[in-house]
Amino acid sequence: MEYERCYIYTPPETDERAPKRRRINKANSQAQLQERIQIYRETWFHQQERIQATLEEADRVTLEKIINFVSASAQTDYAEPVSIPTGLVIAGPSIASHGPFFERLGRKIKDETNSAYFLLNSGDSSNLKTFLKNLIKKAMSRVDADDEDDLGRIGSSSRNGPKLLDFDLGHLQEWHARSRADRIVVAIQDSEAFDANLLVEIIELFYSWLDRLPFVLLFGIATSAESFEDRLTGKAPRYLQGQKFNVTQSDEIIEKLFSATIASTDVSLRIGPNLSRRILERQKDHVQNVQDFSDSLKYAYMSHFYANYPSLFLKQDITFKDLPPDVFEATRNLPSFRRRVEDMLDSGRAQEVRKLLDSDQYLFENIVEHVQSGQEVLSALSTAGMVIVRVRQALQMSAQVPLSSIWIRAASGEMMGSPLLRETMLSIKKAPSDRLAQLLSSLEDLEGIDFPVDLKAYRKDLDELNKDNTTSTPLRSQHDVRNDNLRTTVVAQKVLLSKHKAALSERDKAYSELVGHFHDELDTYFTTAFIDPRALFLSEILMYDLKSPHTEVFQPKPRFAIERALASPHDYLGCDCCGDADGGRDADAALSATQPATAIIYRLYLESGSLINVSDLWSAFNALAGEEEDAESKTMALFQRAIAELKYLGLLKPSKKKIDHAAKVMWKGL
Amino acid sequence: MVSVKRKQNDDDLEATTPRKLRIRTQQEEEVTERGALGAETPSKRKRGQESVENRTPRSILKRTSNINGANGTTPKSQRKLLFTTPSKDRSDETPNGTPTIVRNADRSARRKSNRRLIERTIHGEGSDEDVLDEEDTLAQQILSDEEDEDEQDTAESRDRDERSPVPETPSKRGRGRPKGSGAGRPRKQRSPTPPQDLPPHEQYFWQNRPGGTKTSNNTLSSQTVLNHDEYFEVMQSYKDHHEPEQEFLLELHSRAYDQWIFEVEEGFNICLYGYGSKRPITEKFTARLYEHMLDQAPYKGSKKTPKIAVINGYTPGTTMKDILTTVASTVLPSHTKMPNQLSSLLAYLLNHLTENRPPHPIPLIINSIDSPFLRKAPTPSMLASLAAHPSVNLVCTADTPNFPLLWDVGQRTQFKFLFHDATTFAPYTAEIDVVETVNELLGRSGRRVGGRDGVGFVLRSLPENARSLFRLLVAEQIGLLYMDDIDGGDGNDVTITPRSKKKAPAKSTTSESTQGVEYRVLYHKAVEQFVCSSEMGFRTLLKEFHDHQMVESRRDTMGTERLWVPFRLEELEVLLEDLAAAEAF
Repeated sequence: MEYERCYIYTPPETDERAPKRRRINKANSQAQLQERIQIYRETWFHQQERIQATLEEADRVTLEKIINFVSASAQTDYAEPVSIPTGLVIAGPSIASHGPFFERLGRKIKDETNSAYFLLNSGDSSNLKTFLKNLIKKAMSRVDADDEDDLGRIGSSSRNGPKLLDFDLGHLQEWHARSRADRIVVAIQDSEAFDANLLVEIIELFYSWLDRLPFVLLFGIATSAESFEDRLTGKAPRYLQGQKFNVTQSDEIIEKLFSATIASTDVSLRIGPNLSRRILERQKDHVQNVQDFSDSLKYAYMSHFYANYPSLFLKQDITFKDLPPDVFEATRNLPSFRRRVEDMLDSGRAQEVRKLLDSDQYLFENIVEHVQSGQEVLSALSTAGMVIVRVRQALQMSAQVPLSSIWIRAASGEMMGSPLLRETMLSIKKAPSDRLAQLLSSLEDLEGIDFPVDLKAYRKDLDELNKDNTTSTPLRSQHDVRNDNLRTTVVAQKVLLSKHKAALSERDKAYSELVGHFHDELDTYFTTAFIDPRALFLSEILMYDLKSPHTEVFQPKPRFAIERALASPHDYLGCDCCGDADGGRDADAALSATQPATAIIYRLYLESGSLINVSDLWSAFNALAGEEEDAESKTMALFQRAIAELKYLGLLKPSKKKIDHAAKVMWKGL
Repeated sequence: MVSVKRKQNDDDLEATTPRKLRIRTQQEEEVTERGALGAETPSKRKRGQESVENRTPRSILKRTSNINGANGTTPKSQRKLLFTTPSKDRSDETPNGTPTIVRNADRSARRKSNRRLIERTIHGEGSDEDVLDEEDTLAQQILSDEEDEDEQDTAESRDRDERSPVPETPSKRGRGRPKGSGAGRPRKQRSPTPPQDLPPHEQYFWQNRPGGTKTSNNTLSSQTVLNHDEYFEVMQSYKDHHEPEQEFLLELHSRAYDQWIFEVEEGFNICLYGYGSKRPITEKFTARLYEHMLDQAPYKGSKKTPKIAVINGYTPGTTMKDILTTVASTVLPSHTKMPNQLSSLLAYLLNHLTENRPPHPIPLIINSIDSPFLRKAPTPSMLASLAAHPSVNLVCTADTPNFPLLWDVGQRTQFKFLFHDATTFAPYTAEIDVVETVNELLGRSGRRVGGRDGVGFVLRSLPENARSLFRLLVAEQIGLLYMDDIDGGDGNDVTITPRSKKKAPAKSTTSESTQGVEYRVLYHKAVEQFVCSSEMGFRTLLKEFHDHQMVESRRDTMGTERLWVPFRLEELEVLLEDLAAAEAF
């Protein structure tokens, strides 16, 4: 089978018993897996809905605008065409998200307007002819996709008149007559990748057909509308009637997704700060792609439920009877459980500890209770994060800190006493009354979440204070810098600087008191909300923060893996023969004859210059690995296999510079 | 005196270049000198003292030296004289002074390089590394000596050389300067082994340094390199002593199969990488997946079996079309007429999958997705759009270290890969044709036709004309090789090396551009000898050779086509003899 190009797998005809035995084994090792997967699917389903909603919400405005544009252009009179209605869709530099966007756009256009939508990209349009061919092909297969001989009919489908070539827009006209679409929307996904001349040709051709075919063009633009315009030469720009549409940039969407999924207040499983940071960094530095973000999230959820036995407790309405005793054992082994037990022992609650350790029932109740309270604490944390963001926005603080970074800081327990929080609190103290009013109303918007500060009372007090205020100037608190003035006095040739508090009016004083009170209350709120979630009991169940499978799976280092396998095969093989005797860190310092041939050759390869004499390589190898005199052909076979492997891996290539020489292609660690 | 005074003032101001003046000044007013040059290093002062001691002969010598210089006598001859300097003189020196004197004596860069050269010829040492090192050190020293070069070259070196026998003596003893003399920069360590523990980038530059790629001219004899039969014979009896460990690795990976199935079911695709053939893994995984699917909904209790498409990307000639038709065959009835063109086939397939969604995603296993046959332009992007379809589950392996470079961000997103390290250390038995690869690497692809005998065999079945053309080509090629030899041999006056060794350096300079016979030249020769009458005929004859891989062609840097027979000189010679002998019959 291995030399065949392609085949459909057929199981080898062997005895039937082997697989059955394996199935039994599996049941033992992965007990409750199905149940956990079930919980995963439920949990993820909610998240996915959120993601979908966020995405649609993010795109909605732009999509609607484009659709309005398309349908509006359909109503104009086409007897005397002036120019092609053109939408310039500025989709931003993250090319990976263009595809899904245009797909969504296409679906929407087809659903909501009576138009045909064709998406073309640079890959299948190298010149005008192929572009048209593809366009026509897409159109023809659309109308009668179930028509079997449809594809054969292209090119010969002219009932009257001469036979049309398969890139003649006449086909499209014929098709249009049949389908009666109001508009033919042609979307060019990656306009930058098109040759400028090709674009001009397309535009000119479409323009000349505009009296017969109602075209609407949509260009996906990654740079800017100006640079797109610059590329069009000749009369082409005159044939277009453009409108610009800005698509929400992916980093904004990611931010929204983040607050909807990870930092949201009502999720049962949270992604820990380290992993979140990683995901965000990867987004920023490498992919910039919404799909990938949700994939990362999904994989984190998958890993949590797949590998974590106690994650069963995240099931809703769980009962004691559903659970096997193993899961309690597993829970008792959690670090946070141990921590809690130690704490309890320190505070002299030995009786309870004994109960926790002995009684599954008691433990179960305890767990359920703590999972519940843990969720609450975590959602309080998220709320507090949101409050900070609101406060900063309402006070118009200069440094824009997104929710994601605030949340990550909060979740890693770094928020308390951080400069960010201190700065925010200080500016609350200084806030004048109009700002405070804004702040209050923006906090009031945070409906439906648990916020202990009684905003209404503050609102009432503030309104009362404001009632007497006849001037337009807002009330100031005593901490406001504008209430301080510096005085310079010259006394005996020395300048004295002194700070003076301006005299506060009665109302200002009252306001200061109000602000001070508000500040204190917020302060205590933050202090209770910003705990270190990793110190929570059962935080392992509530939060997934392992970087291990995640990083390798999304950001592999294949080259490093291969180099490592070759440079220190012991790392993988773990055999007795090849390990270095001293067991030091520098395992690849030892080069022994027992190592796989390719590894030996690779080591020699690393030491050599950019040109390698294969003959010398052979003698070096023979000296190292050759055993007896008569076994030279065996050593040679190994040698040949090793260098063939190096060539296959792309480490060596033939060189014409000298006879029997090969050129080195890769340097380790670069 | 006036001038001296002025100079002394200068001295005071710039204590940096005092040497020349110092001596004269000392003669007049030693005490002042001491005071003025207080900042000077003690060693320098010592030398000054010495010159004071030898004051009397100095002025005379100076004059003579001038005369000497006019006469064109080299300082070297003078130095010879100094060999005879009695040892008593040496005892005069203060022990502290010696190294400085030595250094000063060595200051002249030219002298030093000369001495190095002499030294090397005498001792016969001088590996390539040495040369390089020396060049380095020399350049370094010359550069840093530049400040005081002026005086040194003119007055000082001349001065001291001829002036006093004392400073010269140690330099003789030094003969290549005692190591660790402490003066100036310590000499760069010369060792046959390259520097160890360089960071990767330094290593790169070290190994790519100009002139660093000097290799020996040894060649592998054709006998030592195994051919197919020998190779397989040996390999059959060979047993890797790491087999248990490899088994263990496989076992380790097999524990992840359930996890992979879960991942695949959740809509991800899987890519396995790492050293070693991953075919055993995919094979086992396919079996596992097959069982798993048998347990699932549409197959459980029914006679139907799941269809898993397996593609071996490493097999030569695997195309996108093969992949698409195989995938299509799992979902479409066998007699379905499918579009012929690749892109429309893909569109058709994807469309079909969207509209008649199969009960489960189609598993698609691709071994070596990064094989050369699947790398060309439309394939990766088409694979990506195939893999992006929710009804296709892709599990693939990648062998090369840099395979992610195959895909851009968009494709990578479409692939939706989860990567797993699946290092197996298993030999690439199916993936690589070892003997063939080695021959290609060594530029011996002629062995592909079965060596000389194979060529003879092919030729025997060809018409007379073809044989003549081939003989012509071989003869021309041999002629060219000898010409190369002569060209290169001129500059190479190493006489004792055997012929094979002499040939190689010549080749390195010329072979790149002139390897093989020019197409035009060969054609005209063929016409002259009535081998063929038209270019058409010529082409037809050549095509036969191409088909049997007896001839290779390439365009050189000038764009002219060149043909050559992929054998080496010795083999070519024998081949020509064979051909001539065959002709005689």
